[in-house]
Amino acid sequence: MNQIKPDYSKPTPNPVFTYFSAFMDQEVLDTRGERIGRLYDIIVKVAQIYPQSTSLIVRKGFPNHKYALVPWQNVSQLNPREIILNIEKSSLVFAEKHDNKDELSLRRDILDQQVVDTYNHKVIRVNDIHFLRVENSLTVAHVDIGGRGLVRRLGFEKWVDLICKLIHPGARYLKLERLIPWKYIQPLSINPASMTIKINVPQKQLTNIPAADLGEILQDLPLTDQVALFKSLDLNTRAKVFMNVDFKTQHFLIEELGFAEIATIINVIPSDEATDFLEKLPKEETKEFLKIMESKQAKKLSELLGYSSDSAGGLMTTEYLSCGKGQTVGQVIQYIKEKSFKVEPAQYVYLVDNENKLLASVNFKRLMLAANEEPVEKVAFPKTYFVKLDSSVKEVAYLMEKYKYYAIPVVDEHNVLKGIVTVDDILSQVIAIAWRRLKKINITPKQ
Amino acid sequence: MGKLKNFWREIVIFLSILGPGLITANVDNDAGGITTYSVAGAHFGFSMLWAFVPIIIALIVIQEMSSRMAVVTGKGLADLIREEFGVKITFYAMLGLVYSNVFNTIAEFAGIAASADLLGINKYAMVLGSAVFVWFLIVKGTYKSIEKIFLIFCFFYVAYVISAFYTKPDWHQVARDIVRPQITWSREYLLLLIAVIGTTITPWMQFYQQSSVVEKGIKLADYKYSKLDVICGAFVVNIVAFFIVLVCANTLFKSGIRIETARDAALALRPLADNWSYYLFAVGLFNASLFAACILPLSTAYCVCEGMGWEQGVNKKFREAPQFYTLYTITIAIAALVVLMPNIKLVPLMISAQTKNGILLPFVLIFMLLLVNNKRLMGQYTNSRIYNIIAITTVVLLIGMTIVLLVTSLMGIS
Repeated sequence: MNQIKPDYSKPTPNPVFTYFSAFMDQEVLDTRGERIGRLYDIIVKVAQIYPQSTSLIVRKGFPNHKYALVPWQNVSQLNPREIILNIEKSSLVFAEKHDNKDELSLRRDILDQQVVDTYNHKVIRVNDIHFLRVENSLTVAHVDIGGRGLVRRLGFEKWVDLICKLIHPGARYLKLERLIPWKYIQPLSINPASMTIKINVPQKQLTNIPAADLGEILQDLPLTDQVALFKSLDLNTRAKVFMNVDFKTQHFLIEELGFAEIATIINVIPSDEATDFLEKLPKEETKEFLKIMESKQAKKLSELLGYSSDSAGGLMTTEYLSCGKGQTVGQVIQYIKEKSFKVEPAQYVYLVDNENKLLASVNFKRLMLAANEEPVEKVAFPKTYFVKLDSSVKEVAYLMEKYKYYAIPVVDEHNVLKGIVTVDDILSQVIAIAWRRLKKINITPKQ
Repeated sequence: MGKLKNFWREIVIFLSILGPGLITANVDNDAGGITTYSVAGAHFGFSMLWAFVPIIIALIVIQEMSSRMAVVTGKGLADLIREEFGVKITFYAMLGLVYSNVFNTIAEFAGIAASADLLGINKYAMVLGSAVFVWFLIVKGTYKSIEKIFLIFCFFYVAYVISAFYTKPDWHQVARDIVRPQITWSREYLLLLIAVIGTTITPWMQFYQQSSVVEKGIKLADYKYSKLDVICGAFVVNIVAFFIVLVCANTLFKSGIRIETARDAALALRPLADNWSYYLFAVGLFNASLFAACILPLSTAYCVCEGMGWEQGVNKKFREAPQFYTLYTITIAIAALVVLMPNIKLVPLMISAQTKNGILLPFVLIFMLLLVNNKRLMGQYTNSRIYNIIAITTVVLLIGMTIVLLVTSLMGIS
């Protein structure tokens, strides 16, 4: 994987920046200098890309902790040495617990917790939080996931630094800050009311992660977080992620979200992938799905499910581009532009007659190079090879390789075009077969 | 008809979930455990058999909390400690865990060395071979295949049951002594009783069990099967321990032979029983030691990486998870090398492993009680009031006993 590293560069040693660990558990004094308790948590508003502190939580008492919420305008001094409020101790209300549903509590939701790094597509654990200070208020700038952050939290920073400088002044450790900008951080804390992830509204970074990676991240999480994260995604991302997790996770999501919810997802995924998924389910569950899905889609899928999974019929997708005889190249190009597909279709348009019988095919390149007024059948390939519904995987693979097709049309016994098998579908089949063979003769390919 | 079909369905689900509880419990019967049980049988005959009844209850109560936390939160114990108690506490807890687990692993390799001795195999070859086997098993295996191997290990404990039958115990006497035990309130009796309980419930197994339930991805709906797994494990482990005591009680105690280690027990068995029970005993010891030696380094590496937020897992390459592999490899290497040092006394090493467990156990149990009663984490699945009374009593008793054991063993060493 070639990825650009995010900016881990060392922050300039500037009092403008500060770490959460510097304030955590510091004494909080009231306006008369009386001790109230210790700073426990900082609440931030998530409405901006870089969240700003809105209030802090003071904790007192042991072992029965009590918490009080202090709005930020009541904080008059905030630095690592002293935290002073501009109100009196008596005006604070202490309660058994502090609950806030929508906002983010840094200590409870971020610090020491797992979050998703949407830049590197990984689940990480936060060691410290890096703030930008503007006057008295704090803005979350980075999270620290490095070893130095860990040492700092343990309170050994001075000592470890000293030893390091004595032994090896140029040590990598001293420069090793692993700060990840907040805009790439997706917290995983769950809003107890809606049971979804407290999403970072303005960024929606999650949707920028490739579906395969997001699927992997999802599978790394505890089961409850899996459901919460999944529910937080929009329908299209859900569909992509759903197709990219293993069967066990898919099955778990069905159980958690119910058939109706998953049926809406199956409605929007390409028909070949949908049949792949439905085939793996027990018979009753497949029936259940087909019952509650859009009737048109259900009909198409139940037809596809009738074909054996290792035949052309089982592999094909029913989404393809087709046009009738007599249309001009310009019309066809316009049609390609208008037609939006769930997946990128292979770059062919098939010429069919009134009964959808396959006549010829043409690829995008030929269309582009031809004059717009020309009739489409003139630029079509002189001959179009096709396979039957019951053709085997091997046959399909053989023909596609021989004629260098990205997709091959599939027709029934009356030559009626039923769908196409694309190169990625056939490739995954062929690779699976090749793998089994390799294992048999005990050759493991190099990683 | 439908009922029967349902029954089979349930059995299949149960078998697919079976594993973590059974494996964790069985690993308790490791080298240290077998030694303690052998001594208990040899010195006090049938009179300590009754203790397995309360041990089963304690084991079920504690392990059930572990697996409930795993299923409800989907997180390991080290994860939860980090998230709820912060990095400082986690760091020191992990430091303690590494320290005690290194000693535990040494004890297991000592068990391997002892069994090699008994079976007439070269000690060096056996220990080094086992170390390499353990390392490769994890580095080259997947969790599924490893779990299957572990379940096979569990099966070999039958060796002890068979060897008990070889000694032809008087079953009437056994039954009488369980129902109406002859408790002698001597200092030695009490200490050994505490040791028997202490060797069955250890800190690392709480971490291991919770992680392996999480790894299996058991859902809340299937939790009852997981509970059954815990109960099965507790019974199986105690039945095996029961038979170990029985073997030694029936032979060594009757002849008045006093022993210090499992190796002594096996050697003493030879003239008293026959060659078969001798070999079964030795093979059992080897199996148990190797089994625990597989699990301890793995569980240590997993927990520490989990708690400190480092990449973990056997599916990662060394470059991706350097801390995980380093910890894992170093634990095995230290243990194997210490055992192979010439003139090393293995018995004090085994005892000191149990002492280290004893220091850590109270903290781990208290963390567990705090976590399992945390409403925000556990929702409606916190302990009920009655369950809490049982759990707290168990924990308090266990802590009290470990303190006694600790104090006496510290005095004993000095």
